[in-house]
Amino acid sequence: MFVLDDLLIRPFVGIVDTLHTMALSEMYDIDALEDELKENQLLYELGERSEEEYQRRKDELEAEIEIAREVHEKLASGRVEVKS
Amino acid sequence: MTNRYVYGVMNDEPVEFETDAVGGAERVYTVSHRRLNAVVSDIDTTDPEETDEDAQRHDDVLREIMERDGGRTIVPMQFGMAFEGDRALKNVLRGARPAFRRAINDIEGRIELGLKIVREEDADVDADALEEAVADELEPVAAQSVPNDLFSDRLVLNRSYLVERDEREAFDDAVARLEAEYDDLMFRYTGPFAPYSFVDVKIGAQQ
Repeated sequence: MFVLDDLLIRPFVGIVDTLHTMALSEMYDIDALEDELKENQLLYELGERSEEEYQRRKDELEAEIEIAREVHEKLASGRVEVKS
Repeated sequence: MTNRYVYGVMNDEPVEFETDAVGGAERVYTVSHRRLNAVVSDIDTTDPEETDEDAQRHDDVLREIMERDGGRTIVPMQFGMAFEGDRALKNVLRGARPAFRRAINDIEGRIELGLKIVREEDADVDADALEEAVADELEPVAAQSVPNDLFSDRLVLNRSYLVERDEREAFDDAVARLEAEYDDLMFRYTGPFAPYSFVDVKIGAQQ
């Protein structure tokens, strides 16, 4: 039975890993964050967003992009641990 | 500091002037290979980080050159090109010479202008009709144009135009007419910039 279990579990683990990787990629979507950064800049330039609001959002987004880059680097090198 | 940070390449006379340059340098000058002049400043790294300040300085240096002597032509580089010494840079100028020549030819005497049109939060806009109206008004005055990414769903149009210096005023007038006609939309008209969107010369230290 050991061999059968092993075979059944392996592909399953593979799918979980893949799903997890996809979920992480979506959560840390660098392109979407960068678009938001540009939108923030545009709305500020048009006078729709105050300087204070613009700066706060910019700092937030830049920090998120930084984290997203780190996550993607780890995904690429396969060093993300699945914690349950 | 023997590394050279590159702003752009031109074939006019060499330049040298004091200014706030990228990475804290204070002098901008040229490194030449035959009749191509790379506009550079000294820098202590070959991988400069793109801070807002340095991105602004990069643009300012390009703009200053474009405004010299009644309007110079410079092929702009994207932020972040730096080389270990003059020799590496001259090798690139030699290798990419035909590409630089073509690029200079394409943008000679021309500037880049940008137009973004933004809708109000809940407004419903016929983007296709607007695009056509803008094209009818602006394309006849522009030498070329390219669409840019619509990075926000508020953006209805985002385009860059390559315009002859002499046509600048006519282009301004055409934009003003559109703005008057579409007074429920917000216009963000920017420039002049060095024609980043109309040159396709990519150089790297590895070449």
